[in-house]
This record gives sequence, structure tokens and C-alpha cells, in this order.
Amino acid sequence: MPFEAPQITVAALFAVLTLLALIGRRLGVASAVLTYVPYLWAFFLFFVLSEFVSFAVGIWVLAALSFLALREFFTLVDLRIQDRWGILAAYLAIPFMFWFIQGDWYGMFIISIPVYAFLVIPAVIALSGREVEGSVLSIGALDLGLFFLVYCIGHIGYLALYSTWTAILVVAAVAVCDLFAWLLKARDRAPVPGVALEILAPAPVIAVLALAVRPWTGLPLVHSLVLAVGIPGLVALGCHTIDHLEADLGIDRRRLQPGRGEVINTLKSFVYVGPVVFHYLRYFLDTY
Amino acid sequence: MDRAWRLPSIPALVHLLFIRPVLKLLFGVHVEGREHLADLDRFIVVANHNSHLDTLLLFQVLPLRHLRRTHPVAAFEYFSRSRFGRWLAEFLVQPVWIVRGGGDEDPLAGMRARLSRGRSIIIFPEGTRGRAGEMARFKTGVGRLAAEFPDVPVVPVFLTGPEKALPKTRSLLIPIWNQVSVGPPCFFHGSAGEFTAELEGAVRELAAGVVPSHRRRKRTRRPPTLAVLGIDGSGKSTLSRALARRLSADGRACLVSDGVELFEGGAAVQAPPLLTEKVRTTLGRRTKVAGSLKSYKIPKLAELLLRDHVVDGLRDWYAPDVIVLDGSPLLNITAWTGLYRREALSQAMCLSVLRVLSGQGMSLPADDPVYRTFPELGTVERLRLAHLGVPDAVLFLDVDPGVSMERIRSRGEERQAHETADKLDRLRDGYRLVCRVVEGELGIAARTLDGALGAEDVADRAMEELRRLELPAFAHLTGLTEVDSHG
Repeated sequence: MPFEAPQITVAALFAVLTLLALIGRRLGVASAVLTYVPYLWAFFLFFVLSEFVSFAVGIWVLAALSFLALREFFTLVDLRIQDRWGILAAYLAIPFMFWFIQGDWYGMFIISIPVYAFLVIPAVIALSGREVEGSVLSIGALDLGLFFLVYCIGHIGYLALYSTWTAILVVAAVAVCDLFAWLLKARDRAPVPGVALEILAPAPVIAVLALAVRPWTGLPLVHSLVLAVGIPGLVALGCHTIDHLEADLGIDRRRLQPGRGEVINTLKSFVYVGPVVFHYLRYFLDTY
Repeated sequence: MDRAWRLPSIPALVHLLFIRPVLKLLFGVHVEGREHLADLDRFIVVANHNSHLDTLLLFQVLPLRHLRRTHPVAAFEYFSRSRFGRWLAEFLVQPVWIVRGGGDEDPLAGMRARLSRGRSIIIFPEGTRGRAGEMARFKTGVGRLAAEFPDVPVVPVFLTGPEKALPKTRSLLIPIWNQVSVGPPCFFHGSAGEFTAELEGAVRELAAGVVPSHRRRKRTRRPPTLAVLGIDGSGKSTLSRALARRLSADGRACLVSDGVELFEGGAAVQAPPLLTEKVRTTLGRRTKVAGSLKSYKIPKLAELLLRDHVVDGLRDWYAPDVIVLDGSPLLNITAWTGLYRREALSQAMCLSVLRVLSGQGMSLPADDPVYRTFPELGTVERLRLAHLGVPDAVLFLDVDPGVSMERIRSRGEERQAHETADKLDRLRDGYRLVCRVVEGELGIAARTLDGALGAEDVADRAMEELRRLELPAFAHLTGLTEVDSHG
């Protein structure tokens, strides 16, 4: 049969994204939606390439996204001039890690940044300059960017290697959470019920999504439901954490532009979801 | 037709197919104000100079038809060192060479020749690449050139990113996001010197428009607190806001009033939200609608305690250089005790209350009369809430209750429970007593200002008083040491 359910779903996703992009352009809806759409396209491209062409090709779209985010982080953070070799080393960790992912080399993927990049960066900084003042903060900043924006995002890639549809589900779930958060934030709510709503409101939607794609993800019912509740919680936690960092980085959410917070602000919801969902599924499911 | 399609030259193709995509890919060039260049036939681009990347970035922004018709001004001796470097520069950007210290040769001659042939020029008027992130004064050559070609628009451009991607002293290029901000074109007027200064101002203005980023700051100093006291309607909120604004001239100041406000460089900036602060403002609203002094007391006390807690939070969260308090929780509560028990408040009692509330209750005997007169203090102490901060300086805005009542009436808001002439009078006495005790017994500077003056005058007087006090805790505030424009 030329068209099966997955293809039709992909076509539907494509249609939704195109519609979103067109509506955004035409109406100039709130900038939050406008800046979000290109990143959804990037994820879409990643999934389409890895599902219908080759995972070894698609994964580099995610690598590029990681690179964009890390570059933005390094643009914003106040690093010293002598940290340049350290920055370069951090960038170099990206191709290595994603190469391990596409080769399904789990052991190397999981230690590449926490062990090797972690050890190499301080060494490079120590070797590349004699100025000691500020080295501790610089190394901390380099590692922080690398862990959040490359290592955490990379987990979504590894999840897609196990099951593209699970990864699609996760990304769609995060997008749903962000949509709810955006809708809820439009009204200024007291903080406590606001967060509870942001977690509870998307859960049923995600549960329906998870159950709808179960034939392709192969996720057991219990785990689908756990994800439906867990993902909004992780999104809320990730958003709160990155918001905290954004305030220090000087990111102004009213004036987002590429290089000035747009990428980090868009990817912030994925930062906690990626690793936790990945390791949760890997622990409980034999096929992962 | 002049603009008919022509086969692009090889250098233009190199720009289009190689340099532009590579720059975009690695250095993510973000352009603001591209439209300012779109319709110009001839122009002089004026930009800040930090890096060799600058010229290539500017070529990224040029409309296609200008690629081969625009010439950056470059120092010959720098490129004379390498034959390949010079060839590459000639091939890609066709620079106008100038020789530094080139004797009697007119440095503008080359630029003049290109401009009169209808070409465009890129000038870095700082003369040489500056230190990373700093902009030097513009040299007046650009003003003189513009004076000779008054019909050629001069376009100010600010580049940010190259100073990190390829700074002057380093040869390692690293991917960093670059931004090119193009300003609206200006035409020559006035004198060459004035016009140069105007251009420099335009580039600095573009620089100010760039979204700021992270700055490492050293936080070794505990920010001092300045408390502004006064009865309702004395103008203390207005005064404390004005003081926060003025004291933030060269740093950050935090104002704790009905809400928390943050000032930086003399202007209000958006403060990231604090959870405690939200609770406090909710409580604050509650007190405003309280019907009687009794139902006013508890939320007001809670609000003041939280206000003190917020001050601690502010130190950690916003790292201000100074905190201005619209009413000090410690001193307000102390003065308020006089409102409830006027007859009991003596100088000694006042000192005891201050001691208990600021966490030095241990130094008092357990049967101190203060606990009998104000049993609430014992409760506050047992709940471990008595650790209110002592401000580093106090300003008391003294005003006659009659005047303040008039002001409250003219605000047109609903009056709060204690806002009657009699109660305000008692409160005023309380504040006076507190100020005396604070200055006499605790050794904290407390000054009284005449609240009947206009808002600006009061703020001037307050700054004057602070300057005269020469408190070491405030010594780092340049807004105080330098004579400000208001003074």
C-alpha cells in the first residue's frame, strides 16, 4: 500500500506546521508563536529524514540545532578572551556526540560529554592562558551550556534512534505543553494555580496523543499515561530553571531574536524532558 | 537599462556562494534595519571596528548590486606584510588603501575619487580596531569627506559579535552570533566636527539598542539600605522612587515600595519576579481595604515582615548596589507601636522595641517592661520573626498631618483605616521619636527633611544630605560622589 498511517500522520503534521507558519506570517500573531515555528520545522525535518531517508542523515539536523543553541549561549555569556580554545573544544563535542548517537554507540554517547568533554575543557583552558582569575566561572559556564544544550538535547536524538515515533510523541507533547503555557501566561495568574494548570491542563491532551500513536511507538499503556503526566511536570521544571538562567544571561523575553535568546528560549522546554524520558523508557522497556 | 541582469563577476559569485553561506552558517549574522540600505544608490557606511570580520559582515548586508561597487577603507601597511592577504583583500572587497602617516599625501584622496565615480565607501572612523567591546572617539576625516559630498547619505552601522568571534589580539576564529544594526541614513549639515560627533552618537545609539547580555559582576559588597520614613501623604513614595532613580546613575538600585522596582543607569528596568514579593503585594492590597485599625494590624504586620524578607531576597537575586526602602519594616513597626499605645512609648521603650525586633532581644532581661506593654513582641520573638534589618541611613520626611490629609484627599483614593489627622499626628510623633533613638542610641544617621517642599526640591535636599553624611556604606555610589545635574 503506498500510503500507510504513519505517512498520513506525517502529511498531517506537515499540513499543521505549514498552516501555523502561514497564520503566523499573515496575522503576525504574538511573537512567541512566530519564533517557535521554525524550530518545530527543524524537528519535523529531523524526523522525516530519519524515518524516511536515514537516521544517519536526520540526526545532523538535531546536531545543527544544538550548535545554534550553544552558539547563542556562548554569545550571551560573559567569557574571557582566553576561553576561546575552551569554546572551540565545547563546539567540537557536538559532532563527536552526535556521531556516537548515529552509530548507536550508547556507552560513548553517555560519557562523551560528562567524562571526556568535562575533562578536556578545563585542561584546554588551563593550557591556553596564564590568567587565572575567572577560570572557575568560565569552565562552569562552558560545561553548563554543553550539558543543557548539547547533552540534554542529544537524548532526544538517541530516543529517535530507538523509536522515531516515541521521539515525535515527546516533541509533540512538549509543544502542547508550551502552547498551554503560552495560553495560560497570556493572563496574569497567581503563581501557584498557574503552574498547577500548566501541568494538569496538557496531560489529557498528551494522554490522547500517546494512546493514538501507541501502535507505532509500542509504548505500554501505563508508561504512556506516566509520560502524559510526567512530561508537563518536566517541562514546567525545565522552563523555570532556564528562565532563571535567562534572567542572568540578559535574555529579554520581549525582545527575542536569533543570537539573543530565541534558540535557548525555544528549546528550554526540552532540556529536562529529553534525558529523563529517555532514561525512564530505557530502564523500563527491554526494546530500548 | 542600468539594472538589467548581468552575469555576476567571479568575486561576486565567491561572496554569494561561499562567503555569505559560510558566515551565515558559522556566525549566524542577524541584521536589523537592512531596509535603510536598500534604496540607496551611493552611500558612506560608518561602523565601529573591532575585528577583521567587520568588513566581511558589512558585505553580508550590502544589496547585491553594491557588492562590487563598495570599497572599505583599509590600512595599507597592515596588508603589505603578506602578498596573498593583499591579493585576497583586492579580490574580495577592493579596498581603498590609505597609508598611515603617509606624509603630505591627502588620506581622503582615494575615497574622494571613488565617491565621485558613483561608488560607495565603508569607513571605520575609529582609525584602527579598538579593544574588544569598546568604541574609541571617531576621527573627523569622515565628517570632512561628507562635507565634500553633501548629497551622499551616511549610514551609521553598529557591529556586535566580531569582537568575540575574532578579537584583535587573537587569530583563532570561533563561532559567535553576530549582529549588524543599520541606522537610518543622515546627510551632512553643520561643520565636519559636529557631523562626526553626530555620527558617533548615532552609532552609540545603535549600540545601546542591542539587547544586553550577561555580565560577570563581583559581589563582595553587601548593598546598603536607605530607609525613607514619613506618614501617609508625606510624599515618601515619590521621594524614595526619585532617590532610587538617582542613586542608580552608575549601577543598580532596588526600590521596595508597594512593589519591587529595579533601576539601572538612572532608568527603570523590568525586575524578574520573586515569589515572596507576589505574596507581599497581595497582602499589601488587603491592608488598603481594611475597615478598622484592628483588621489592619495583622496583614500590615505580615506585610512588613515579608517586606523585610524580600529585602534579603533582593540582595541575592538582583545584586543591587543600593536598596531604597519606602518605609523600613523595623522602624515602621516601632513607630506604629506608638499608634496603638501612645502613652507607653518612651525613649527607653522605643529602644527596647527596636532591640527586640532587630534580633537583639537576648540582651534584654525576660521581664523587661517592653514584653508586658507589647505582648505581641514576645510572640514575634518566639516565632523567630524578630530579625528585621537595620537600615544604614534614614531619611524622615516630616510634614504636617493637615497637609498630608489634604494630599490624601486630592489623590481621590479611598482612605485607609489610620488616615485621620489625629492618628497621623500620633504616627508622626512616633517617627520623630524613632529617628531620635536611631540616631542617638544606635548610631545610624537619620536626617529630617521638610516634606512641604515640592517633590524635586525634596529629592535634591535628600541627595545633598546623603552627600554631606559621607557614609562609608554609600561611598561606592558614584551618583552620590559626582555632582549630578539636578544638584
